[in-house]
Amino acid sequence: MSVEEGIALLFLLAGCAFYLAGTIGLLRFPDVFCRLHALTKADNVGLGLVCVGLALLSGQARVASMLLLIWLVGLLAATVSAHLIARHAYERDAPPEHEGPS
Amino acid sequence: MADLGLYVFAAALLFGIGVYGLIVARHLMRKLFAINIMGNAIFILMVTAARPLDGAPDPVPQALVLTGIVIAVSATAFALALMVRLHRETGQVSLSADNESGGDDG
Amino acid sequence: MMALLLDGLIVLALVSLAVQAISGRSLFRGIIHFVVFGLTMALAWARIGAPDLAMAEAAIGAGLTGALMMVAYRRLVAQGDNHSPRAPAQKSRLAIPIAVGSGLLVGVIGLGALLADNPPGEAGLIVLETLPEYGLGNAITGVLLLFRGLDTLLEIAVLLTALLAARALAGTGDSSATARTQHPETPLVGALLAVVIPLTILVAVHLLRAGTHETGGAFQAGAVLAAAGVLLVLSGRVSRTDTAGPLVRLGILAGLSAFILIGLMPLLYGEALLTLPGMWSIYLIETAMMVSIAAALILLFADAGGLKRDRRG
Repeated sequence: MSVEEGIALLFLLAGCAFYLAGTIGLLRFPDVFCRLHALTKADNVGLGLVCVGLALLSGQARVASMLLLIWLVGLLAATVSAHLIARHAYERDAPPEHEGPS
Repeated sequence: MADLGLYVFAAALLFGIGVYGLIVARHLMRKLFAINIMGNAIFILMVTAARPLDGAPDPVPQALVLTGIVIAVSATAFALALMVRLHRETGQVSLSADNESGGDDG
Repeated sequence: MMALLLDGLIVLALVSLAVQAISGRSLFRGIIHFVVFGLTMALAWARIGAPDLAMAEAAIGAGLTGALMMVAYRRLVAQGDNHSPRAPAQKSRLAIPIAVGSGLLVGVIGLGALLADNPPGEAGLIVLETLPEYGLGNAITGVLLLFRGLDTLLEIAVLLTALLAARALAGTGDSSATARTQHPETPLVGALLAVVIPLTILVAVHLLRAGTHETGGAFQAGAVLAAAGVLLVLSGRVSRTDTAGPLVRLGILAGLSAFILIGLMPLLYGEALLTLPGMWSIYLIETAMMVSIAAALILLFADAGGLKRDRRG
């Protein structure tokens, strides 16, 4: 195993650790907001680490830039969908007079 | 390339599950899940059963399956529209023959 | 060893997701399980070595079928379907024997084909030999357009027929199901759309162009484009109308009419029907088909006869 492969393996394992922690959190946390908190860790950091690992493993600029794009689009989609879910849950649960200033 | 025997096994299992679901399920949308699962099983079978060429699956069944995927989604969309209309007209989401054969769920 | 483990996990996931989708507690969960089943199917296709199918399955099989099922579910709930939460199974003594029998049948056919010492498919070999003449690198696009053009033509026709049939069934005056929540929209949605819509169009065009020499093609590109349309419908940027405007009509019919017109052209020179006259015709047909597939799928999703831009800033 070369040095690059070793480093890539470390990144992949770290990413998997984030996914594992995020999934456990998703299953065990009590309410929507805590679950979203756990989910975003897996989505953002986990995906980023896995993408870095795969980019190192491929060793090609073209593949690496595509992986970067995948990560950025993933970040964007995860951010907005988490926000929408949280907003919906907040507006459903909060009584009208306590609604936020949004 | 993956071990194709394993995927043939998966196709057989999925087809069995699909047939079982089609017979047992009462809600029409579940019957649709079942039909789609059966379809996917046959797709896997078609691609894996052909002898690979140049290390990749034979392109002819792949093209047929690609067509099949689009046809499947067309048929599913039509079936869903039928189901929604049936529910609007009769208030039911199951076939009347299924309701007579047992149970009290309308 | 690792590969076998991975394939085993995928097969296990497929089987358990299929069981869950059919017998899970609520219908809503069933839909979620079915969507995840579709995504796992995409993984399976990638493992089998069919990236084109993986892409089509992820976009069409999982994404759009799931979206269509969600819409249908929501309309059922809006129409007052309160039986959905429970999943009463039907009692049938023959169900298990029939299921086991048909599963065995599929298994025997598959194993027979795997174990038999068949030569590779003649048709596949001919395809691989002929492709370089046409300058095509993707054998699947080649089969779809050069050898099985009639299939592909009829496929577009089937999609169109499904759309027309769904429209005929939809009836009129049931806009209740598509009523949106009245909350003010967050600025994030606009920001997401501003980035994602152009990117989606870029990806669709890339897939279309790539389809001639690597993974991609009109179906995958059309599905990706349809996803952009679904996003626009969901966010209220585009609203539904009962009848289609000229642009939407053109979009729906473009694929079929371009395919038929170019397919008939060879008859003028005394050649066979659907003999494509060159690369330009392949690009033209693929582009028109992408537009038509996307338009038909968006209209099926929106359950609308037509679409119009909603001007609200």
